[in-house]
Amino acid sequence: MSRRVFITGYGVMTAIGANGPENFASLRDKQCGFGKLEFLDTVHRDSIFCSEIKLSDDDLCKLASVPPNAGYTRTTLMGLITAKEAIDSAGLSEAQVRNAGIISATTAGGIREMEKYFHELQNPQFTGDLLAFLDTADPGEHTERLAEVLHIKKYLATVSTACSSATNALILGARLIANGVADCIICGGAEALSKFTINGFNSLMILDKEHCRPFDHNRNGLNLGEGAAYLVLESEEMLRRSGKKAIAELRGYANVNDAFHQTASSPAGTGALHAMKKTLARAGLDVIDIDYINTHGTGTENNDLSEGLAIQTLFGSHVPPFSSTKPYTGHTTSAAGSVEAAFCLMAFQQDVIFPNINFSQPMAELSIRPITEFIQGAGLKNILSNSLGFGGSATSLLFSKC
Amino acid sequence: MLINRTGIDCYINGAGMISPQKTYDNDAFLSELTQYANNVLTCVLPNFKDYINPFQMRRLSRMLRMGLAAAAICLRDARLKTPDAIITSTGYGFQEDMGKFLTEILQQDEQQLTPTYFMQSTHNALSGLIALSVKCMGYNTTYAGRGFAFETALHDAMMLLQEKEAENVLIGSFDEAYPVQHSEYIRMGYLKRERVNNLQLFESKTEGALQGEGVAFFMLSDSALPHTWCRLRNLHMVYKPADYGSLSAELIDFLAENDLAPGDVDVLVNGTSGDIVRDQWSLAIGRDCFGHAADVRFKHLTGEYATASSFALWLGAMILKNQTIPEAVLANAAPPRRPFRTVLACNHFLGRYYSFFLLTRE
Repeated sequence: MSRRVFITGYGVMTAIGANGPENFASLRDKQCGFGKLEFLDTVHRDSIFCSEIKLSDDDLCKLASVPPNAGYTRTTLMGLITAKEAIDSAGLSEAQVRNAGIISATTAGGIREMEKYFHELQNPQFTGDLLAFLDTADPGEHTERLAEVLHIKKYLATVSTACSSATNALILGARLIANGVADCIICGGAEALSKFTINGFNSLMILDKEHCRPFDHNRNGLNLGEGAAYLVLESEEMLRRSGKKAIAELRGYANVNDAFHQTASSPAGTGALHAMKKTLARAGLDVIDIDYINTHGTGTENNDLSEGLAIQTLFGSHVPPFSSTKPYTGHTTSAAGSVEAAFCLMAFQQDVIFPNINFSQPMAELSIRPITEFIQGAGLKNILSNSLGFGGSATSLLFSKC
Repeated sequence: MLINRTGIDCYINGAGMISPQKTYDNDAFLSELTQYANNVLTCVLPNFKDYINPFQMRRLSRMLRMGLAAAAICLRDARLKTPDAIITSTGYGFQEDMGKFLTEILQQDEQQLTPTYFMQSTHNALSGLIALSVKCMGYNTTYAGRGFAFETALHDAMMLLQEKEAENVLIGSFDEAYPVQHSEYIRMGYLKRERVNNLQLFESKTEGALQGEGVAFFMLSDSALPHTWCRLRNLHMVYKPADYGSLSAELIDFLAENDLAPGDVDVLVNGTSGDIVRDQWSLAIGRDCFGHAADVRFKHLTGEYATASSFALWLGAMILKNQTIPEAVLANAAPPRRPFRTVLACNHFLGRYYSFFLLTRE
């Protein structure tokens, strides 16, 4: 029998804030993180702007309460800070954390440190603090570190499906609870900016040198960002025992594949359409029940067309308010799914809808347009959140307010 | 956590294995062995043209070719064109392509880079590519958590079968021997410094393993068919056990949850890596609980890699399917008791990640 899955806490860090409240204030005040890179050393510093977290690695070590120069990658530090915030906000005891599982998502992991110290780490004669960064480039490393600091040993898993990674971490966590394997899972994703990622997306020619414009006719690509966010998922039984009130129920989810192209979505949005349909079906809800969609909305030619058409096809004459929050945070790639899930939870808590900024001209192919003003008293009950990515990955989550 | 008490119907209905031995042919069972004298074991490759169309192949990296070929071998073996879901797993991903892109970034000062290296280095590049090749629009994901990556994939697949989300799940693993990782691992004591011939691995009395690699695919299905290899009864993972006592207690509990005692196990596939420091508990498990069982080892044939437990699964399933244990993998002197009905695979990776797979054939 499938059990219900509840969300009791979250933590989030992006270029617009180091925690939940800071992120909310920026979203409310239309404050964006897009700007010149200060902490990542790249030749593209003056030409490719990103949404960087304006904290040094040493600052992050302090926020994470770990010593500096101990081999914690920037991805791990962001993960630690937000996982701890999630645990605090869910009010989990130390014993509850020890009995929980952790599922973390990343793609670049510690590549930032590998590219920075590449020659030192390859030199067998080299000695010093930097050696703590040996064997820290792979995705699994940050999960080991999170598990170690949080004292979690019972279950750990690492997801890596590019831009849908954190959503897939949430889906796996939900299924572990639904299937009765676990009662409490901390899941999400973390991804620091790296030369690797910036040059990768740049080589694919999908970066907008200007501030990105999701769903706009003149959109010209995405902006990259860095971020991390974790959610605490709990079973109904565990909630009943503690008497705690959940923020939302993770009522629907789906992971499907577009099977169209290695790095692009099908123009008709087959994958996104299928993912949203399956998610609604699992939740037992209809299109008219959805009050807001937090879109993937990267601002690339391909994504917004594909996702926009999928929304238009599925919702027909009942398209709910929708927006992309990517202009605020940039595309936080592997963390985007959990960052935006955290934004959906904030939307419930404050009963607001965050606007899709930088939108001026509707796309010729679409008859729908995103919400461009901050809406208060939105009466939100059900929110859909999409994440799409490389490899044809198409995922969707449905949150219901508790 | 993670002992599944419901007894899911989960069968291995096909496999495709590319490893440092000639394993891509499911009709042969380790009949010819390959020796490696330089501590790095790399895959014995099939003729890719038999599995991949030449037009597509030109653009693919060695690992993607291996992955696509192993998936094709598995699909043919399972007599299936399109699975309902695809799950891949890797410890370290496409390190060579990642390394090529990184090297270009550093050497060319971030100019004129080759996007193919970036695209093909994403961890889910293989699961996406297979979906594209076989037009599978179902569930598709990739796990990249070191010594539990393959275990997470297996467990996910079993849940998909239980949820009736899928009837046939194609699951796979891939990891490659990569020089940068090799030098880092030597430095950390995970790999041996002195030269050891792989076929004499278990005679070495030093710290560290040999570097290996491999690509494996399995078809996990909810129903048994005439060509079914065996049943996958259950799996269990133990991360950083506090001591030997707690590890062996978890193993005994795991067997008991499946109504078995150690005496019921006919074959123990033990993932000892030839590392005298990190093999201790695995060796002790074999000695203390399974003295009666066939003692099967494999990392002298494959080397060590994060998803080597997939080779343990393949080996256990091959033994059940063929009812034979090749001499090259049998460590005991005495002939094993027959028939082979129950196989327990116990793997460890770096002495931190332990996993148990339980396989049966009636």
